Amino acid sequence: MADAGGNGGHLPAGDAGSPAGTGGGPAPGTGGGGLADGVPVLAVQDLVAGYGEAVALGGVSISAAQGTVTAVLGANGAGKTTLLRAISGLIKVRGGSVLLDGVDVTRRKPEDMARAGVAHVPEGQGVITELTVEENLRLGALIRAGRAVRAAALEQAYQQFPVLASRRRKPAATLSGGERQMLVIARALLAAPRVLLLDEPSLGLAPIVISQVMALVAGLRDSTGLTILLVEQNARAALAIADRGVVLNLGKVAVTAQAADLAADTGLLNHYLGL
Amino acid sequence: MQEFLEFTLGGISFGMIYAAIGLSLVLIWRGTRILNYAQGGMAMFTTYIALIVINHTGNYWAGFAVALAAGLVLGAVCELAVRPAEGKPPMNAVIVTIGLLILLEGLAGIIYGGQYRSFPAAFSVTGLRIGSTALGVSRNDVFVAAAVLAAALALAAMFRYTQVGLRLRATAFGPRVARLLGIRIGRVLTLGWALAGLIGALAGVLVSPSTFLYPDSMDSIFVLGFTAAVIGGLDSPLGAVVGGLTLGVALNYAGGYLGSALVPVFGMAALVLILMVRPSGLLGSASSRQV
Amino acid sequence: MTMLRHLAAAILVALAAALLSVELGAFRDYQMAQVAVYVVAVAGLSVLIGLSGQISIGHGAFMAIGAYCAALLLMHLSWPLEAVLAASAAGTALAGLVVGVAAARLRGPYLAGVTLMLAVALPALAFQYPGVFGGDQGLGVSITTPAFLGPTFPLTRWQAWVATAAALITLVLLANLAHSRIGRSWRAIRDDETAAALAGLNVAALRVLAFVISAACAGLAGALLGVITTLVSPGSFTITLSIALLTAAVLGGLGTLPGAVWGSLVIVLVPTYITDVATSHGLPSSVAANIPVAAYGVVLIAVMLVFPNGIQGGVRRLLGPALPAASGSLSAVRRTARPGAHPGAGGSPGALRRMVRPGGPPDADGSLNAFRRQAPANEHPEEGTQ
Repeated sequence: MADAGGNGGHLPAGDAGSPAGTGGGPAPGTGGGGLADGVPVLAVQDLVAGYGEAVALGGVSISAAQGTVTAVLGANGAGKTTLLRAISGLIKVRGGSVLLDGVDVTRRKPEDMARAGVAHVPEGQGVITELTVEENLRLGALIRAGRAVRAAALEQAYQQFPVLASRRRKPAATLSGGERQMLVIARALLAAPRVLLLDEPSLGLAPIVISQVMALVAGLRDSTGLTILLVEQNARAALAIADRGVVLNLGKVAVTAQAADLAADTGLLNHYLGL
Repeated sequence: MQEFLEFTLGGISFGMIYAAIGLSLVLIWRGTRILNYAQGGMAMFTTYIALIVINHTGNYWAGFAVALAAGLVLGAVCELAVRPAEGKPPMNAVIVTIGLLILLEGLAGIIYGGQYRSFPAAFSVTGLRIGSTALGVSRNDVFVAAAVLAAALALAAMFRYTQVGLRLRATAFGPRVARLLGIRIGRVLTLGWALAGLIGALAGVLVSPSTFLYPDSMDSIFVLGFTAAVIGGLDSPLGAVVGGLTLGVALNYAGGYLGSALVPVFGMAALVLILMVRPSGLLGSASSRQV
Repeated sequence: MTMLRHLAAAILVALAAALLSVELGAFRDYQMAQVAVYVVAVAGLSVLIGLSGQISIGHGAFMAIGAYCAALLLMHLSWPLEAVLAASAAGTALAGLVVGVAAARLRGPYLAGVTLMLAVALPALAFQYPGVFGGDQGLGVSITTPAFLGPTFPLTRWQAWVATAAALITLVLLANLAHSRIGRSWRAIRDDETAAALAGLNVAALRVLAFVISAACAGLAGALLGVITTLVSPGSFTITLSIALLTAAVLGGLGTLPGAVWGSLVIVLVPTYITDVATSHGLPSSVAANIPVAAYGVVLIAVMLVFPNGIQGGVRRLLGPALPAASGSLSAVRRTARPGAHPGAGGSPGALRRMVRPGGPPDADGSLNAFRRQAPANEHPEEGTQ
């Protein structure tokens, strides 16, 4: 597969709403940075959410600074997917709050969160298989204003993801797992989001494809300053590119640390993730 | 042979009506997994509105246009009533739409009375002939077929080539993803129902010259339109059209050769047979595995 | 024990009803009989929909079958009334068997559509063979009070007694059925068909059985209707009847037997009342006759959206723990498994919760992606409705 994420593309300068394209935010590992007064782009405070009578998140607090990748790790059932769904509004939040650039967006509907700049790539990828590749992509651009803007964004996406360009008219169902992951990430990016929520992008993919996807994610952070929350069961792959890591256990935060420190702490990884 | 030709062509006109109803059912089903039992009732109601306009203005086309517009509005309104049922078990939606159906029939009875009214046809209904061969169709029949076909093609084009169509399809196939991409699926669903209401209204004005207009007049048309949609597979707009045509022609044969009173029985037998063999309709996508 | 309890209750009610019927005049007796007829049909329908999870909007057709059976039997053979009623119920049960088998694989709207078709198509037979079925005019039903009651016993009271007795017997039988293993099996297939099948239940047979029993009830009700109105004609068995039955079942509380009683009371008494009020206010009869129809519609919509458990649900809420355990209610119909259900498609509020997608083509990647679609369902149970 061609180098899809390595050089990342710059979005056209005049495009309103694109994240600052100044060649990357703070270097990985410093864990700082955000807006001028240090407000994290995305913050979750004491978030409580669940399904029916079950409580899947029992008070989770996480913050993500601009231009960082925060890996959210944990075993099956730890609450990782629930966290993303609660942030993007797919499930009802029962307590706590979600802040975007310091603004409380806790109970907004998914459509509104998307329009506020939060792109959620759900578990299972969410490729609409009845549509073509191009139609899937065009969906991502629907909230951009103006035909010219949308067309330009689409072309830019094709440049960034040549493999999608070569299959643009094919039904999305014909893509392989790795290609589908590219598709849904490209689609999410077409909305020019501030925040990208990725739910287990490596699931079901071959190792070499996993590293390509991770490289893409890292590239996005580096070149566009996107703030990324990366939920993963594959802790190693995620920590390799992340700035910070959060380990969830049974709906609560067990550990928050720099990614490098987490990756080195094999005892901890063993304990919470069985690695 | 002459009879056969007559029966075939004659069945097309009604077949297109079933296709139209079937099409509106598919439209709503695809987007919401709800079967709109009120579709016939909505069509009946808008036809009454058309009749009032026609009687007041003396202009058929004014009534025609108003019926279509009323169909759009009524469809949107009905969606709002049904929306709370959209997330719940399917039983709820069935009962709510049936409630809507009889509400409309009751209202029609109250407002317009129960007597059979005649509704004008757009064009002449005398049978056409080529030379001395009776074709079994009239100019009006040709208009009916053409109108439904045009509507179906316009709908297909809209789905395929427009942004609105893309939104409709995304909402139908991947509603959760669509929401995550910022699509306001509530509005999209309302639009879907409005379009279904439009097509239903078209079917209503096209068929009422033959059936007369009274509060229950669209009940059997609805049932056959539903049959057409089911035959074609509830997910397939093309299937609805094919199913409608097939059903219309087949029922016409049955009526012609076996006696018209048995037509509903024949229709029922056809429906049951097809569903026994393919519980999701002929062209419908097969159900996913259960476990 | 349960059977005894039910029998005792039934006997008490029978005595009370008998007393009432003596006190009230002929018209009220007729209404009591009407209510009883509806109770029989609605109870069967409520069991079908509420307990076994299958919908039928064509039960009026089964009533018609029972009614015509009774009329024909009384006309051509001189069987005693009990035999006629039993035979009509049995005959309709047979029809229910045919329909049930044909519809065994159908779910949701497909099933409803077939039953609707039945309601529309069946009257056509009456017109096709007018010699047998009396065409539009129908068939007369001749009923006389039995000799042992004496010559002055009013016919309407006898009709009320017969109908009420039949209703009580039906209720007792259905109550026992609902509490039996069969009733539990029905609830199991209603709530989660796949799980029930995996647990070893014969889903198809149970579904057909529910159809047969509810059809038998409707057939009995139809025969009774013929008895109390002394006439059986296609005009009595239109789609409106089927919908009235459905309304009564829903309004009373799906799956509950007391609900069948509440619903029947409302369906019989309220429209007459409304029409009376309307005509006394000078509204023309066509308007007055249609107000109940429009009201049915509003009731169905309102009940489903606002009080899905109907009247009996409200009664339960008021009386609470004083009542024995509920045999089943609509709010428990949470996860009627449907073909095409997409695991993992849940987890979002309101409108999306039950959106399902068509089966769709298998993932190009094969099994692992398919597994991925299953996995979220294991990890995150779908948000329940309540």
